[in-house]
Amino acid sequence: MTNRKHPPPKQLVTQIPYIKPRAAELDNGLPVYFIEGGTEEFVKVEMVFFAGSYHQTRPLVSYTTTNLLRNGTKNNSREEVNEQLDYYSAHLQLEAQKDIVSVSVYVLNKHLEPALKLFSDIIRLPVFPEEEMRSFLKNQQQIHLINQKKVQHVARTYFNELVYGEQHPYGYRLKPDDFDRVVQADLQQFHRRWFYPGNAFCIVSGRMPYMIEKRIGKYFGDRNWQGAETGEPPRYPMLTSGSRKVHLEMPEALQSAIRIGKQLFNRTHPAFHRLKVTNALLGGYFGSRLMQNVRQDKGYTYGIGSNIVSLLRNGYFFIATQVGSDVSKAALDEIYNDLKELRHKPAGKDELESLKNYLAGSFLRSFDGPFAQSERFKELLVFGLDFGHYDEYMNTLKNITAEDIMECAGLYLNEEEMMEVVAGK
Amino acid sequence: MVRFRKHTLSNGLRVLVHSDQTTPMAAVNVLYDVGARDEDPERTGFAHLFEHLMFEGSLHIPRFDYYLQHAGGENNAFTTNDITNYYLTLPAQNLETAFWLESDRMVGLAFSEAKLNTQKNVVTEEYRQSYLNQPYGDAWLLLRPLAYEVHPYRWSTIGKNIGHIQNASLQEVQDFFTTFYHPANAILAVAGNVDPENVFALAEKWFGDITAGNRYVRQLPAEPPQQQEKRLAAERDVPQHQIYMAFHACGRTHPDFHATDLLSDILSNGESARLPAKLVHDQKVFSEINAYVTGNLDPGLLVITGKPHHGVHIDDAEDMLWKEAHDLAVNATDKRELQKVKNRVEATHTFSESNVLAKAMNLAYYELQGDASLYNQQMEAYARVTDEDLLRVAASTFRKENASVLHYQTQRQP
Repeated sequence: MTNRKHPPPKQLVTQIPYIKPRAAELDNGLPVYFIEGGTEEFVKVEMVFFAGSYHQTRPLVSYTTTNLLRNGTKNNSREEVNEQLDYYSAHLQLEAQKDIVSVSVYVLNKHLEPALKLFSDIIRLPVFPEEEMRSFLKNQQQIHLINQKKVQHVARTYFNELVYGEQHPYGYRLKPDDFDRVVQADLQQFHRRWFYPGNAFCIVSGRMPYMIEKRIGKYFGDRNWQGAETGEPPRYPMLTSGSRKVHLEMPEALQSAIRIGKQLFNRTHPAFHRLKVTNALLGGYFGSRLMQNVRQDKGYTYGIGSNIVSLLRNGYFFIATQVGSDVSKAALDEIYNDLKELRHKPAGKDELESLKNYLAGSFLRSFDGPFAQSERFKELLVFGLDFGHYDEYMNTLKNITAEDIMECAGLYLNEEEMMEVVAGK
Repeated sequence: MVRFRKHTLSNGLRVLVHSDQTTPMAAVNVLYDVGARDEDPERTGFAHLFEHLMFEGSLHIPRFDYYLQHAGGENNAFTTNDITNYYLTLPAQNLETAFWLESDRMVGLAFSEAKLNTQKNVVTEEYRQSYLNQPYGDAWLLLRPLAYEVHPYRWSTIGKNIGHIQNASLQEVQDFFTTFYHPANAILAVAGNVDPENVFALAEKWFGDITAGNRYVRQLPAEPPQQQEKRLAAERDVPQHQIYMAFHACGRTHPDFHATDLLSDILSNGESARLPAKLVHDQKVFSEINAYVTGNLDPGLLVITGKPHHGVHIDDAEDMLWKEAHDLAVNATDKRELQKVKNRVEATHTFSESNVLAKAMNLAYYELQGDASLYNQQMEAYARVTDEDLLRVAASTFRKENASVLHYQTQRQP
């Protein structure tokens, strides 16, 4: 008979197989990194610009500029761009975040040449047609209105405003008429000012086709591609006020969305890795205290979790869940209690070991394959870090104790300093 | 091309292995051949509730997640109208932990009244979160019973109404396990940095002694051909109308499935596809538009859906969708357009092959359809579709008598 009572022996994850990128610099100064790996004949080419919403002077400009890159270039109309992207099955991703814009394309190697030509035009020569912009913003305005009916969306936007203040781009909450205010010149200026090699880097990952470096150089290395204006992005004062609570009544809601958290710091802070582990124990995985208590024990919710978000100029911590409106008070009590216990109740031997093993496995998973590796490497580049940062995390995982976690919770996650938003009832 | 090996244990468990030495991970997928279509019409939502209970402890292992996390693993599961699928990934060196965990919950579960009650609450909150408390969240709860009158696809995986879940008894849970959760009704697929011989040995060690159950024989009522158009209008607190048009189509294993899927791609896969290019970008009638097939194992649906802008009458918007659908039945698709959608299918398929978990899931899913090697034949099957196939399938699909149309409308102000 097989012995089912005891788990089979296991080995811990102690090493992460980094793929160290090969670095190159194009004639115009654009840094390019190559991450070779994978089993299938395709690559991802990603261009990152420091051009997020932090850099804009009017709401929605970074987002609209990024999303309209594909709506027509000096060489091709929107119809032609879309037809060719689809024909060459080039999967284009446009992401405008708070600090950066990422424009990437996944493409089969056999279609690389025409796809790169198109990709280069999209990035370098967009024309932002007025009519396309209006149509895009009108559709986005509709989506915005639908989102206002979603408790979790409402809670998230009010929470960011509480944490960073309504003047700060990290905290700004969109209003419906913001969609009417963007003008074509905003996009043209924003693109001229921030989308140039000196403000960017490029990562190519996957199975490298023949002469990849030369081909990237051909489409992105042009010396004439320079920024028209330079300079620092605007500076905004960071709001730092104490705990505040906002309750937004949404009478139709069957569930309430809860968001609790506070401003903290980003991954360059010495305590970041410890905070990451501390957060995981609280709400960072299925075995976490919040999940086990509020979902698995009380049945108040389908899911609950907490996270720490690293932004270039700051960072924050938050807990988020949706609970039945009838139990939102009870759920809040449980959440605050779990936060408090994080300071006082040491993780048991099993709890801590399970947490560490899980996080090490999860970290290994986040490096699985060239595309995952490129995500991790991008993170380092954005924050100006090197692989030592990830080694430190593995060291923290190895050495952190239950006392360290309680101390970290005491320093950074005091329940009395939290912002709280409840949207619903 | 995903190379794999297959072995069937004496108790009927089918085991598939794909070895990929480029990853440090292993993915393990266990598919049970039971979905919402197998439920008693008076006890709907049961397959999905059961999926939750599979994480609440088995005969020898009180906490599934705890031990998996201990081995650096991560897992989840989903229930569809056709199947219940459990999957996990973990560092490849800890593969045996996955066998220990998955086999024990095939041997038997540690049910209790308390665990059942908690998961009833969790599922009720899931129902509220995903279906009721979301704009347009209940559209499929309306569309399914409109399109299907007889076949169990007429209810969603969450169930017809949440009362069915709340009334579930422990005995029913036990019976459900006995009927569906045994080796002959399951497929195990492993992909990643593993040795196939070792996987077969582990399968024998951990699953080999599980009693073979009685093979479940599925006898579902076939949906009779629809005779006339069906229409429904619903009013909800949403800022914009949405139109849903559902057409009966073939099942996934039917020879016309790939042509049907390509029709939906021609309509809406990519920004240059007909519906977004014409009706969103050019004519600006819709703000969002989509077309897709449900891809069920029994005959499924081809769905066209879109949100017309304010000021556009919902009937006029619907007419424009009909016009595009009819066009596919009358005018042959030109060569480049057909090649374009085939290129996209090829790329999507190739991208999915770069992920061990996707490979394990697909091997199990195609094995369920008869043979895991069907996964490797998909691209050829799409490549073979001709413009005549598209015309023929479009003509038989896009007919009024074959349509169920839901107008999901904004509430009129009182």
